[in-house]
Amino acid sequence: MTTYLVRRLLQTIVVIFGVTILSFFALHLAGDPTYLYVSERATDEEVAETRAKLGFDKPLHEQYFSYVVGLATLDLGNSLRSRTPAFELVMERMPATLELTIFAILFATLLAIPIGILSATRRGTPLDGGIMLFAMFGQSMPSFWLGIMLILVVGLWLRWLPISGQVPIIQPLLDGDFQTAITNFPDAIRHLILPGITLGVFSLARNARLVRSSMLEVLNQDYVTTAKAKGLARHTVIMRHAFRNSLIPFVTIIGLEFGFLLSGVVVTETVFSWPGVGRLVFNAINQRDIPVVQAAVVMFSLLFVLLNLIVDVVYTRLDPRIRLS
Amino acid sequence: MSKLSRRGWVSLALLLVLLVSTACTAMPAAPAGDSGAAGEAAATEAASGEPQRLVVAQSVDVQGLEPSNVNSRAESNIFTHMYATLYEITESGAIEPYLAESYTLSEDGKEMTFKLREGLVCHDGEALTAEDVAYTFERAADDANAFTGNTAGFVLDALDYQGVRVDSDLEVTILMGRYSSPALGLISEAFIHCKDSYEAMSLEDAAANPIGSGPYRFVEWVKDDYVLLEKVPDYGLKDVAYDEIQWKVIPEASTRTAELIAGNVDVITNVPPDQHAAIDGSGEASVNGVAGTRRMYVGFNQRDIYDDTEGGRAIKDPAVRVALQYAVDVPTICQTLLSFDCERASSMVNKPNDNANLEPYPYDPVKAGELLDAAGYPLKDDGTRFDITFMAGRGRYLNDVAVVQAIAQYLTDAGVNVDLQIMDWGSEFVPALRLHEVGPLYFVGTGGSTWSAVYDMSDLSAPDAATNYTEWNNQEWFDLWAQLGEVRDAAAEKEITDKMLEVMYNDPPWLFLYFQPDFYGVASDVDWQPRRDEIIDLTTASPK
Repeated sequence: MTTYLVRRLLQTIVVIFGVTILSFFALHLAGDPTYLYVSERATDEEVAETRAKLGFDKPLHEQYFSYVVGLATLDLGNSLRSRTPAFELVMERMPATLELTIFAILFATLLAIPIGILSATRRGTPLDGGIMLFAMFGQSMPSFWLGIMLILVVGLWLRWLPISGQVPIIQPLLDGDFQTAITNFPDAIRHLILPGITLGVFSLARNARLVRSSMLEVLNQDYVTTAKAKGLARHTVIMRHAFRNSLIPFVTIIGLEFGFLLSGVVVTETVFSWPGVGRLVFNAINQRDIPVVQAAVVMFSLLFVLLNLIVDVVYTRLDPRIRLS
Repeated sequence: MSKLSRRGWVSLALLLVLLVSTACTAMPAAPAGDSGAAGEAAATEAASGEPQRLVVAQSVDVQGLEPSNVNSRAESNIFTHMYATLYEITESGAIEPYLAESYTLSEDGKEMTFKLREGLVCHDGEALTAEDVAYTFERAADDANAFTGNTAGFVLDALDYQGVRVDSDLEVTILMGRYSSPALGLISEAFIHCKDSYEAMSLEDAAANPIGSGPYRFVEWVKDDYVLLEKVPDYGLKDVAYDEIQWKVIPEASTRTAELIAGNVDVITNVPPDQHAAIDGSGEASVNGVAGTRRMYVGFNQRDIYDDTEGGRAIKDPAVRVALQYAVDVPTICQTLLSFDCERASSMVNKPNDNANLEPYPYDPVKAGELLDAAGYPLKDDGTRFDITFMAGRGRYLNDVAVVQAIAQYLTDAGVNVDLQIMDWGSEFVPALRLHEVGPLYFVGTGGSTWSAVYDMSDLSAPDAATNYTEWNNQEWFDLWAQLGEVRDAAAEKEITDKMLEVMYNDPPWLFLYFQPDFYGVASDVDWQPRRDEIIDLTTASPK
């Protein structure tokens, strides 16, 4: 196990290194952002001076080398716009993004399991058809559209939930202020529902379909037939024999799911004015604030790779036949 | 088993319904940053004696709270409430005393001496004197601080700032390398702060803890969420109606609209034309549109690099440039694409400083054709006169892509075969624009003012000026520009600027379009009128 973990961690470093190369050169190939950071009346000398201040006057390979050296010490440079460390800017907003992503992943997985099982065990019924229709809609709707519709219907017409904004839970916890975290909790959930649904509905639909097809496959296995023949109760057959085995492909995609949801926060956070990393990246891309975009990409990649590692370890617990080696 | 299973699902469904309904109906007191709370509070605050709060939603957050590093109008609008300036520009474009009570200009026009009011203080109680004004300018100019904001990056350069001199406790002189007619207006953009307060802070601390001199003082900044300010008690220079103003950040326009209609915010900025009907029809708010000061135009880039193109050669002829003015129906573009009845621009100068004798070019496609024929560009067999490339950035101005497509179509109708190239604003268009390598036709808008014709005309201060993207070189214009530096009298200056605008009218470097309208959504219970110059002055707002 230890050897496996060490090997995976080394692989993680290689992956992150690859991500830095791709993101660095992709961002720099889009052109020199200096002109966005000078007055429109700036002379050629002033432009050159600003370019030097921002560090864009050096050859690209030198800039990349400085960036990688900084990365080793978590110094990802300063935001071109706010002049504060890019890593700090990303980490300041990470709790808000994690709240939203965790809520969305819970929404997408906890609801997908009963929906998928229900659909599989009622295969061919109108209920199954309805669920699959919902799943198709869930996967077809663009998140920005769904977000705006939820704002209009739930937030504006029905006035049930807040339209935008965030009430923090994780940040107070990190600050050791448990009282505030507890006090904020009910209101935080109210603020999380609309963006959480917007972010998670695609995953919910996909997961429900996955659980359904996985269950259908398992329900046709001989050992399930044997369990039924033994006279076991239906729920015992489904939950104890079929469901656990059908979970394996589902667990596999949870890690990937997290990465998918992280990429989705850019749109959702913008629509719901959620103060997370997604919005930070959205603004940074618009302003060509390269250090901030790079810092966010590296942090997202790191989270994604580590979560997949955790999923792989959990995998072995679900199916003892699988060996990490 | 079957019964039990069904019961289980029913229980699960009930649990979910319970959870959702609890979340939807439980309405605990929300923290200060909650927009819902802001709206609810606004409804009851007057009756309960709680502070009256005005909530404004705009699309971007401040990048920091350093007064010398203000980079955008959205930031400057917040700072204007926290920091006072020596003079201030009013809605009508007049420049009136604020911290200063008067000023004098030296005979050579290079020294501007301000006399401050007595008894001024900063928000921490420190007395505000001439030394603080001097410190404000010196701090902005100090290269070690590496500020790139408006004061350091634009105002000081435009003034040809040489230094500052403290003459007495209440008198301070700003030294300039040359006389500059717009100097007073430019100086009115510098946010004055107190020396002792700021010297005691590092740059990082100063960027998080603003200590201002204006009618509102800083309370809290929650990044990407809001900035909250509160009224300074007994502030003698301005009388303000609201106890608190909160600047919320809501990037998405439709979300801002929903928050306005829901009553959670009082004023929203940048309302897109497609949302006007929803706001006006809500009964809760209305859209206030105003012709802004940003000059929108199509530039005729006359650089030699386009000489190998048909269009590049054609637009070097002033007759062609005049002919094309008649080819585009600007009022219709405004009405249909911008939802605004705008008056077509006749020059690069905003009212009331423009040349009132110049009539905007009318839309007259027949005349456009006749003039192009006369200029030597008749319709060819293929129905075109000449080919030309037209470049524009995407997403920078109101409905910009639709506007340039419409312009391209009007030009095509006049026989100009337009190759429209729509580019990414930040990575493609701006770098090319700064190098004067967009064109031969390009679409852009540049910020203007209500207070100075010379300021508006300074885009074309020299044939090789950074903002003379067309590299237009009319000798008469630049001779008159040189004369402007010699006059001190407003009437004489007006005579010259009017003459210059006439020169421009007949030899246009731009295809004049419109002054970009700005749209604000304003709640029905708030009395506030927007200004033309994009400044959001909430000191004039009051509850209805």
